[in-house]
Amino acid sequence: MDKNVIPVGPYHPLLEEAEYFTLQVDGETVVDIDLEIGWMHRGHEFISESKTFTQSLYLVERICGICSTSHPLAAVHAMEDVDNIEIPLRARYIRTLVGELERIHSHLLWLGLAGHFIGYDTLWMWAWKYREPVLQMFEIISGNRNHYGMMRVGGVAKDVDPSKVNKLFEVMDEIEKKIEMIAKAATDDPVLKSRLKGVGVLTKKDAIDFCAVGPTARASGVPIDVRKDEPTDAYDLVDFKIIVTENGDVFDKTVVRLLETFESIKICKQCLEKLKTVNGGIRNNVKEISPGEGIGRYEAPRGEVFHYVRTDGTNRPVRHKVRAPSYVNIPTFKASCKGIPVADALITLAAVDPCYCCTERSLKIRDKNNEPYKINLLNLSREKTEQLRRQMK
Amino acid sequence: MHNYNEFISLMGNKIVSKVEKEKRLYFEVENQNIKEVADHLFNKLGCRLSTATATETYRGIEVLYHFSLDKTGEYYCPRVVMKDKKNPKMNSLTPIVRGAEWIEREMSEMLGITFEGHPRPEPLLTGNHPQNIKVPLRKWRSNG
Repeated sequence: MDKNVIPVGPYHPLLEEAEYFTLQVDGETVVDIDLEIGWMHRGHEFISESKTFTQSLYLVERICGICSTSHPLAAVHAMEDVDNIEIPLRARYIRTLVGELERIHSHLLWLGLAGHFIGYDTLWMWAWKYREPVLQMFEIISGNRNHYGMMRVGGVAKDVDPSKVNKLFEVMDEIEKKIEMIAKAATDDPVLKSRLKGVGVLTKKDAIDFCAVGPTARASGVPIDVRKDEPTDAYDLVDFKIIVTENGDVFDKTVVRLLETFESIKICKQCLEKLKTVNGGIRNNVKEISPGEGIGRYEAPRGEVFHYVRTDGTNRPVRHKVRAPSYVNIPTFKASCKGIPVADALITLAAVDPCYCCTERSLKIRDKNNEPYKINLLNLSREKTEQLRRQMK
Repeated sequence: MHNYNEFISLMGNKIVSKVEKEKRLYFEVENQNIKEVADHLFNKLGCRLSTATATETYRGIEVLYHFSLDKTGEYYCPRVVMKDKKNPKMNSLTPIVRGAEWIEREMSEMLGITFEGHPRPEPLLTGNHPQNIKVPLRKWRSNG
């Protein structure tokens, strides 16, 4: 008997990156999933070898528009690791501030998309509305809403204007209240709970076996976070908690991200407070990097970003390995998607906050009468939410 | 706390050479010992495999695995050097660490390494490519 297969991807305007999944279904149930990457292979590692260290930072910043602090930050950590380069205290707080702002905007972006996928467009609009002030904070700090160009080996490129610190505090206070409101609305909603609880479960064992990172691992009870495990920048100087939950389902992944947003706000406020009093330079003058090897990593919103740099004493890396968190999180679909209904597949795929596009696509599969019919994962997912809503009325 | 001495004494003569830095241990092992070393790191020490890096050097083609011990922030990086650049082969770690599957498939395409015992050695990046892509993708370096 022929297998019923739902292809998802590789290209669709809904999301910005390309990946290809094939869901194998038995009736309404997903029995297996196959994954394929390489649709947008851009050769960053190879290009980096022809760039100077500083040019490499601009390059890796463009790997991902969402993680455009995490990659250069992990890269400078790797370059600094070769020679154990120290960075000034003020620069450490600025790096931490920018990194945490990125986590807030990324988690809000994800929350909005998750709401959209399950038919909660109000949640989507709220989350994106309150993400906007965070982007404006980036503009105040760096001059850019995206691709901030803040990182340098030995420090940061730009200082935070002291006259803007109070304004940044005000924005933080405001978005904190709004996110509290969204979080309460999202986690107390009975339809949302029944739609996300117990869906797409990734067990702790599977998370460890697949070497998952970030909220994907933490929602499955694996307490890993680079910010605590190997604190760099100012993470050992600020107070924050690592959010870990045990169930591994989509609801827990949502909860982890929402609670992490509050921790990030807490960290940002501490950094801003310190920037009022900590003075001094923002960059050590690094003239050269010795021959050697360095590992740099940073806890991006999606999980650990890993960079490895090998140097030979020239002004450019001879090898620059980049591993984004989605590269280890996406294979977990093999475990979390099996046995779930097709209507839950979209939100399960989206729950790890992967970099992919086209999670939904029209296609032909055959029904019980061997007749071809069309299926749309986004509509299917939204219909299920509507059904639950009607039942609960 | 980071102290690699216990690990080094346990592994004994399996470690051919090592470079130790703060929270980083890079060490070379022979191909026949890499599975045992990885098994110890993953199953006994509780390390997580961050990723692996394959590089073509004058000595040959080398694969450097990056195992992270998250409890302490230390990295253990075993390195295998394959001197035969034309036909590099080494043991696959995927049967021990499932998270190694994609990166080993990628390294296989990039540098032509055969990972013996890999459960699914097909191409990861170029499998469905419309053009007839020839692997390894970086072979021109050897020719040059």
